[in-house]
Amino acid sequence: MTLQAQLDALLPLGLGASNTGLPPYEIDTACLPAADHAALLAEFAHHRGVALAWPEQALISPRELITLLAPLREAGADSAFALGQLLLPGHYGLASQALLQAGSLADMLQCLCRHAGRLTPLLTPRLLIDEQELILVWTDACGLPAGLRGFIVDLHMSAVASLCAWRAGRRLPWRFSFDRTAPRDRAQHAVHLGTALHFGCQVDAMRLTRAEADVRWAATPGMASTALARHADPQALRRGLLASLGDRLLRQLAEPPSLEVLAAELGVSPATFKRRLARHGTHYQAEVDRVRAHVAVYLLGPRGQGRDTVAQALGYFDGANFRRSFKRWTGMAPGAWALG
Amino acid sequence: MTRLILPASLANRPLNLLVRDFFYPALALVLSALTLAFATLGEFKALAEWHWTDVLAEGGMALMVGVWLVYVRGSRPAGRVTTWLTLGLAAMLVGEWVDALDEVWRLPKAMVWDNALEALTPLGMLALTVGLHFWRQEQRVLSRQLAQRERFTRDHRAVDRVTQLADAGYMAEQIQLERGLGRAGCVLMLGFDGFDRLTREQGLQAADRALEAASLTLLLNLRPQDLLCRYAGDRFVVLLPDCNAAEGERLADELKAALAQLNFNGRDGQRLRLPVRAALRATAGTQSPEQLLLDLLQAL
Repeated sequence: MTLQAQLDALLPLGLGASNTGLPPYEIDTACLPAADHAALLAEFAHHRGVALAWPEQALISPRELITLLAPLREAGADSAFALGQLLLPGHYGLASQALLQAGSLADMLQCLCRHAGRLTPLLTPRLLIDEQELILVWTDACGLPAGLRGFIVDLHMSAVASLCAWRAGRRLPWRFSFDRTAPRDRAQHAVHLGTALHFGCQVDAMRLTRAEADVRWAATPGMASTALARHADPQALRRGLLASLGDRLLRQLAEPPSLEVLAAELGVSPATFKRRLARHGTHYQAEVDRVRAHVAVYLLGPRGQGRDTVAQALGYFDGANFRRSFKRWTGMAPGAWALG
Repeated sequence: MTRLILPASLANRPLNLLVRDFFYPALALVLSALTLAFATLGEFKALAEWHWTDVLAEGGMALMVGVWLVYVRGSRPAGRVTTWLTLGLAAMLVGEWVDALDEVWRLPKAMVWDNALEALTPLGMLALTVGLHFWRQEQRVLSRQLAQRERFTRDHRAVDRVTQLADAGYMAEQIQLERGLGRAGCVLMLGFDGFDRLTREQGLQAADRALEAASLTLLLNLRPQDLLCRYAGDRFVVLLPDCNAAEGERLADELKAALAQLNFNGRDGQRLRLPVRAALRATAGTQSPEQLLLDLLQAL
């Protein structure tokens, strides 16, 4: 099976989003009810004695949510993990209900990925289940300030790990990869996430073997997922601008569509599209490179494929060219690569 | 013209509280009055006569003493120690100020009060020394309260908000120190089973109270020379200096039993008990203290 065929099979299972016809939300789109996230953050801030300005309007944008989160990073060394425990299933209406109605780990994670627009609007999780592993990769929904990225990634990983542990009745043996250098002190990560921590990876991901991922629990089935699939809560199905761009690029990996084509699909001029990406702290080539780097790292690492096979799958005619690109994306030679 | 009326509530206030509240205004008044006295009674020196190094050195001294005064008053509760420290620093400040002023204005030879005021500097130093002596006594009492929470060194940045214990980094330093002393010792890690569930179902407040109760229980059950730190989350770590493996096992069992006896208060009045886990290692070894602690965590 070709790489694209494999990806196409994985996309509807949580790797990407099905095309719902809903426009993506942007960093400044006011699309999140303040009562959802802000109420939870306010409770935590109060508990930690941190002042939090309650948003005035009923709907807030991802940027405003980030602004609310920023002061909480200073609310103790464990703030990302303690707050993470509160984040999911959360009180986000149907999407939270759907999470609780899932009866197995794979179902619950698929539900999370499908409704990320409501459950985790800042970071979009992508689920990848192959013969050996279950991998949950965290990607930007609509960009994050570099200084807060580590905190927000920890927050989301802790939220999912804690939710899974709660539903499974025991802690799952997740292995964690982080796209940043190791912190001075790993104690917080080790206690709250587990000791299988790998820093300096190219992706933020959580992994389980297939055998470890086969976890089921008693859940009361319900109609929340069905209702959501019928657009009962459109925001749940919406993707962030960068996440939706990632979905699009994954569908055409070897020959990525040009900036002009993507702009035309969104019904805007190339210049407007460029400006829009710039507002999210990125540009077209950076996003293409990121998606390809993620796929290359996956194929070289967990899949254990050879350099030449990966080069071919990504549409490179010769290995030397791929090697140069990979070096540019990751700062490492593909041969030296292992996901950890 | 507005008249200054003292509010009725001030009239009955104890003297030491009045002094506390009106300290800065009074000090500012004294310093301005002195400046005014120099400006009216003295003769302004021509710039050529100024000794710039003296002006800067004496003015700078006065400024620094002022800064120390603000810090000391800002960081200490009122009491005997603070009174002596404040009096000493204030006297030094006035003395230094006069010293700096007579670099700028020349007073008639007949006036000697400025020399008398300059003598405040050594008197202030004396008062400051008395204050430091009392401070040392106070610190001994406080250190007894902090026994089992810190050893040899202090790092306030490492202290946890909930349990008032130091963190994993502090413990790693102490293990390194213990290795340097060449004594045989043990490190013990303790934690609860299902604490995350307690947090999720009972809330953050209940979890914090449980951690506080656990830390106090451990402190009561430790030997005086032991050190307790909060590793992270519900994981506590104890340094047992001068302790062989058999003794370590015994202490570990005792502490485990003490924690297992704890009843936590749930949200709706229910009482909860959680199973306790423990892991023990010798402090000696070639691996880094951080890795030793991670191994302990994994063994838990």
